[in-house]
Amino acid sequence: MDRRHFLRVTAAAGAGLLVSGTASCATSASSGPVAQTAGTATIQSNLSAPAAKAAIEALVKAFNDRRGAQVSVNTVASETFRTQLPSYLTSANPPDLFTWYPGSLLKGYEEKGLLLDVSDVWQTMGDYPQAFKTLSGKVFVPTTYYWWGFFYRKSNFARWGVTPPKTWQEFVALCQTLQGKGVVPLGMGAGADSPWTASSWFDYFNIRINGAPFHRELLAGKQRFDDPKVKAIFTPWREVLPYTDPNGTAIGFQEATTAMLQGRTGMLLTGAFFADAAPKDAIDDIDFFRFPIIDPKVPLAEEGPTDGFFASARSPHVKELKEFLTYAATAEGQEVYLKASSGTVLPTHPGAKDTGTPLVQKGRAHLKEAAEITQFFNRDSSDALQPTADAALVKFLQQPDQLDSILATWQKAAEQVWSA
Amino acid sequence: MRRVPPILLLFVLVPLLVEGFWVFWPALQGFWLALTNWDGVSAPRFVGLGNFSRMIDDPVFHTAVTNTAIWLVLFGGLSAAGGLGLAVLLQKERRGVGAYRAALFVPVVFSLVATSLIWQVLYQPGGIFDSSPLADPDTALYAVLVPALWRQVGYVMVLYLAGLKGIDPGLYEAATLDGATAWQKFTHVTWPQLRSVNSVVLSVIVIDSLRSFDVVWSMTRGGPYHSSELLSTYMYATAFQSLKLGYASALAVVIFVLAFGVIVTYLVRAFREN
Repeated sequence: MDRRHFLRVTAAAGAGLLVSGTASCATSASSGPVAQTAGTATIQSNLSAPAAKAAIEALVKAFNDRRGAQVSVNTVASETFRTQLPSYLTSANPPDLFTWYPGSLLKGYEEKGLLLDVSDVWQTMGDYPQAFKTLSGKVFVPTTYYWWGFFYRKSNFARWGVTPPKTWQEFVALCQTLQGKGVVPLGMGAGADSPWTASSWFDYFNIRINGAPFHRELLAGKQRFDDPKVKAIFTPWREVLPYTDPNGTAIGFQEATTAMLQGRTGMLLTGAFFADAAPKDAIDDIDFFRFPIIDPKVPLAEEGPTDGFFASARSPHVKELKEFLTYAATAEGQEVYLKASSGTVLPTHPGAKDTGTPLVQKGRAHLKEAAEITQFFNRDSSDALQPTADAALVKFLQQPDQLDSILATWQKAAEQVWSA
Repeated sequence: MRRVPPILLLFVLVPLLVEGFWVFWPALQGFWLALTNWDGVSAPRFVGLGNFSRMIDDPVFHTAVTNTAIWLVLFGGLSAAGGLGLAVLLQKERRGVGAYRAALFVPVVFSLVATSLIWQVLYQPGGIFDSSPLADPDTALYAVLVPALWRQVGYVMVLYLAGLKGIDPGLYEAATLDGATAWQKFTHVTWPQLRSVNSVVLSVIVIDSLRSFDVVWSMTRGGPYHSSELLSTYMYATAFQSLKLGYASALAVVIFVLAFGVIVTYLVRAFREN
């Protein structure tokens, strides 16, 4: 190749790049309706943990094997998913289905007309409890949920000669006993990558003392974080701080789980999902108890975060995706999912069989007894409010004497989020 | 004047267009977004300089600015001093010096996220320290600074090694004949000869410290309670956690002005001296 020819070729390639760049941009900038095309609907999934990924892939395979509509799944890291979600939804050629959870973020997108109305899928879900319907609105199809509690190893509790507490007094006494035996009673994993786990403590103290309705109002901006009622929940929390792992704000959620499984800490307030990462032989040894009742007059509330799917309003595969959602909402679809998962989530379909382990059955009953279900701090409020809670609660764990200024700062930061 | 051949013009204009479209245009949009409130979904709402006046009362912004200044001084100063020191120490070819150079350069090759993971393990409570310095708001920033330096020093060292190689050995011979001490040789020969490298190092350091993000984000996420927040991590959290893209763009503009300001001031001075 001579020099002149080489130059011509490279110049053409450069111009080609430019043209294709402009062209692709023109497509993504157009926002007109997209023609309905037959084909495969795509699920954008943030279930990147191995067990959860295997479960959704099993569900998709079972669906595709029915030889009806076809779907494919595209798994991305959950952090990428979260930051890219607005772009996905506003692009002209979005993925069709998304894994997510109900909450204020979804409501916001619904109000902006970005989400597909899936009421006709709900027509097939007649036997679902009203709670799921209220939670989901018209745009969400719940498929699984799970529970939170104090998880511990049965063998360790037996070795230490202690039993699960019911009341707050029994809980504090249990902590004292464990500390007397040289065990750190309460695990905590609110370090660098998981400060949000501290919010579970906040949620529980608030729903135990002030009740779920107040909790929801607080998280929706209708109450204040510097309210005396909010300040009051930190009194019992402060009471158990001496029993909480002093490294609780230094280690992450995974290390805190390991510490509990290895018996270095007595118990850990966590969601059932932690079992995804627990070794198989430990799972049979795991049990949990309810966050102790503090005020018996307050109706029992529990955290029961719900997961499922929603669809983009701009999807060209409405028929296919609705067929998939309908399948995912059936008992059959959920049983397929659970069988391939780590087996600690619960099916939302009331007739679907769970994995049947004693732990899961206990978890299902545990949520059934609750009069109110909350979702979790960020789900009941927003992902934007979560960092304000992280800053406030980690500071409280480290400097409980600063409570007044912490709550004042929290309220100010929250107002900025709500006003945005 | 000789006519510029059209093919050369094409070579200038095509990359310029590509660059303009993919870099300058989005950058200009960033400036526009800084004047709006935008959640990434609805249409941006124009608020004038509201985002900038909001920074004045934002305590986290103040922490982030202070921390960025500390970071610039410590990260920049220590990596320049350390890099230069190591380069001078390791410039002479002797047996095994290559192994030392390579060892010091190895951290540059690692991804910063992998580096942070390694250091996170080192910092774990019950390891070198009884309690993790990353969890203590008084030490978190410095605990993150160490791995960042660990990497940057090797990089700056290589830049200076290249600069030292370019110095005419005749200058040192002349200095030796004049009876100069080692320190005099350094201040009167080495340092002035390194001037062009210094401007490169300064630009690299300023840019690298203002865009330091990955190491902080993966180790502390700016925590505990914003104590290790830099402008870059605060910008990211504002944009992608709080979804306040207008305010985040305003923060990005501040970062840009800082980086641009420092570098332009230096370059103007350097050109004037020439």
